[in-house]
Amino acid sequence: MIHYRKWSTAAAFLLLAVLIVFPLLLIFYTAIERDGHIDLAAPLEIIAGSHLASVLFHSLWLGVLVILVTTILALPLAWIMARSPLGRQRWLDVVLLIPFMTPPYIGSMGWMLFMQKNGYMEQLLPSAAVWTPAFFSLGGMVMIMSLHLFPFLYLILRNTLLQISGSMEEAGAVHGGSPGYRFRRIILPLLLSSYAMGVLLIFVKTIAEFGTPATFGRRIGYSVMTSEIHKYISSWPIDFGKATALASLLLSACLVMWYIQSILSSRYSYRLTGGKGSRKKGYTLTGWKGLLSGLYIALLLLVSIGIPYFSVITASLLKLRGAGIEAGNWTFKHYTELLQPGSDSLEALLNSFTLSLAASTIAVIIGTFLALKVSRGQRASQKWIDLFSLMPNTVPGIVIVVGLILFWNSPWMPVPLYNSYGMVVLTYVILFLPYTVQYVKANYGQIDSVLLQAGAMAGGRPLYVFRRILLPLLIPGIIAGWMMTFTISNRELVASLLILPPSMQTSATYIFAQFEQGAVSMGMAMAVVSVGITTILLLILNVLPSARGGQQV
Amino acid sequence: MKWNKTWKKASLLAITAVMGTTLAGCGTTGSSVSQAANGKAENSGKLVVYSAGPEGLAKKIEEGFEAKTGIQVEMFQGTTGKILSRMEAEKANPVVDVVVLASLPSMQSMAKDGLTLPYADAPNSDKLVKDWSDPNGNYFSYSASALGIVYNTSQVKTPPTSWADLAKAEWKDKVNIPDPSLSGSALDFITGYLSAKGDSGWSLFEQYQQNGVAMAGANQEALDPVITGAKDVVAAGVDYMAYKAKADGEPVDIVYPAEGTVISPRPAAIIKTTQHEQQAKQFIDYLLSDDAQKLVTGAYLLPGRTDIQAENRTNLADIPAYPVKWDWMNEHGEEVATRFTGLYQ
Repeated sequence: MIHYRKWSTAAAFLLLAVLIVFPLLLIFYTAIERDGHIDLAAPLEIIAGSHLASVLFHSLWLGVLVILVTTILALPLAWIMARSPLGRQRWLDVVLLIPFMTPPYIGSMGWMLFMQKNGYMEQLLPSAAVWTPAFFSLGGMVMIMSLHLFPFLYLILRNTLLQISGSMEEAGAVHGGSPGYRFRRIILPLLLSSYAMGVLLIFVKTIAEFGTPATFGRRIGYSVMTSEIHKYISSWPIDFGKATALASLLLSACLVMWYIQSILSSRYSYRLTGGKGSRKKGYTLTGWKGLLSGLYIALLLLVSIGIPYFSVITASLLKLRGAGIEAGNWTFKHYTELLQPGSDSLEALLNSFTLSLAASTIAVIIGTFLALKVSRGQRASQKWIDLFSLMPNTVPGIVIVVGLILFWNSPWMPVPLYNSYGMVVLTYVILFLPYTVQYVKANYGQIDSVLLQAGAMAGGRPLYVFRRILLPLLIPGIIAGWMMTFTISNRELVASLLILPPSMQTSATYIFAQFEQGAVSMGMAMAVVSVGITTILLLILNVLPSARGGQQV
Repeated sequence: MKWNKTWKKASLLAITAVMGTTLAGCGTTGSSVSQAANGKAENSGKLVVYSAGPEGLAKKIEEGFEAKTGIQVEMFQGTTGKILSRMEAEKANPVVDVVVLASLPSMQSMAKDGLTLPYADAPNSDKLVKDWSDPNGNYFSYSASALGIVYNTSQVKTPPTSWADLAKAEWKDKVNIPDPSLSGSALDFITGYLSAKGDSGWSLFEQYQQNGVAMAGANQEALDPVITGAKDVVAAGVDYMAYKAKADGEPVDIVYPAEGTVISPRPAAIIKTTQHEQQAKQFIDYLLSDDAQKLVTGAYLLPGRTDIQAENRTNLADIPAYPVKWDWMNEHGEEVATRFTGLYQ
């Protein structure tokens, strides 16, 4: 039996090494290798010797600002949802996820169409012309990115608030603590660790984001590391040296953040849920406070969902973009053109679905295997597997893609995967592997081993126990991972832009290309169709009870 | 506890086995797909073409060529910058057979580096505009566009008439210019202007920058805000896009400054590493044929052949052009692009 464990551990390591670790190491190697010898300072020299230092600063500054704004947006929301009757509205939870599930390049484009000179805002409200130009600034970019990311922080904070059971505060009260003291000494410390982890992840997600910098950032001339990396490997004159130097720096920044986060979570996490039932409490928001809360949420939904989707849908329906919003300028032409049999657009849509189908299926199989290998993660080997398999969640997508290109397109690579369908599937699998690993791991953690022991005691052989007891119990986690991978890879942009073989498009690259080609209406029609379909899938996912717990990941 | 371990091992074994076979399965399908792609490319004559837009035209050419010859085309469409960088990225394992760019100097430097395969006796090549194609048959400019000032007709009543106009205060923050690192024609305009004006030409672009001219992606990205009215003017806008938008009913029009402009030929070439020389030559033949030239004029581009005139746009003879130095443009392209994008960053 020991034999099998060793064998499967070795398999897991080999898999992770080939899929994730080697490609990433190759970035570092390419960044520091110069004419055959190693120069550790090379990336720093490249960055210091160009305008790239300002790009680095741009990224970090953006991360800080987005942390500030997401906090301002998410903290009151979490408080309201945890402490007021509004929190019982299940549909709100689903709706509040929409901004996070909206691909940033589409959201940004929607904002740009809305706010630009003679945009939809000015067409509806001509007096707004005075202040719309102010939106095209760093402030606007921070706002767009924060409106995309705040649900993430909100979920973390709300879940923590919900877990702080009333009995803790009661215990504080019994020992004579005043309400202010209880808030300061009980709620705040418990909230702070989750908050710290949340904002670190927000920071990493911000500096790793590509869609908004590529659309809005380009318009305002604010270049960040991801957009520069993309530029250096996809536009002329190409410069892999600068690209890998930047990528290795971005990778290092994210790994540092990741390290800080793992220390925080191991040192400052508290067991908030015990086996016993807990009562919520503290106080609730009612009366005028309740009303204010409702207004706040309505306003937030209007800004984070209403405006971008208004633009997306309007743009997809306009006959002439130069004529703007007016009677008679509406048409469904772009949709019929989009869905015409044999058209490039329909092919792109189908490509997206088949690619994600293949990728999510393979990712679920590998992910489940890895999650079971990690299991409860006490042994060192398990910790390493855990670390590596979750890495794609921490490392910016564009960095992984650079690594994969370097790895699979190198002259010594015997497998001709680059420039093929398989390469795209492989990239999606790697990028979204963490979803399955996390869902299945969470699912697995909830299964009491007593059940399996019982199965064995009743005479079931290991394989039987696995098939009849463990697997059925893991199914919800596996399905959740599958659907999440499917949805996300369906909308994936940056990897698709860089590794799709010639003559192949996905819905995301189609949309991006339409923005570039000026056929914005077609792009937006595609956005409505593809986001619409995957959102319906996500709603189904949300109905599955098991998936809810893992949603904050 | 012991049982616990046992089942765990068993389950892992089972998963491993499942995964192993699936992975193996996917490995074979994965590689067979790519091998099939390569195999087809080698045997049944699949041609890989990297083509700079316009998208509609590239598609029609692909369809027309496939219908005429029965050769399957795999096409990657992108801007000149994207195509050049894709070729650079694939230097180790080149797959492309024919390249169509929107910039002559870039093609000239490829030919100079020996990356192209000469096809001196291509039919109809003698009818091409002489300055735009290589006498040895390394590349053929099957079409061209001219750069002009594209403006929004509902916002601009008196269009600018010279390049210098756009540096005036009345155009502050109202002008876009395409990014020369993405747009081959924009690069042609900038290098062409500089080659005609000498180093003093930079002062125009410096004045533009001071006047709030925004560098906005490739050609369509620069034009799009002008269509919607977010900006008023594109400097160095490609004409065929303006004609196309105008024909669609969008409120745009184009002027060519009387002092002169740059015409940007769109050359095609066979790449030396091609495994499909015969098919690639047939593709060039097709580009120079009457059929394809008709498609070219249909897309509001200037035809590459002198014996064909366009009816839906200004023809070559009526466009005032600067005496540009293609050699200088070819030599200084990268340097100019870097300096220009640096200026506008």
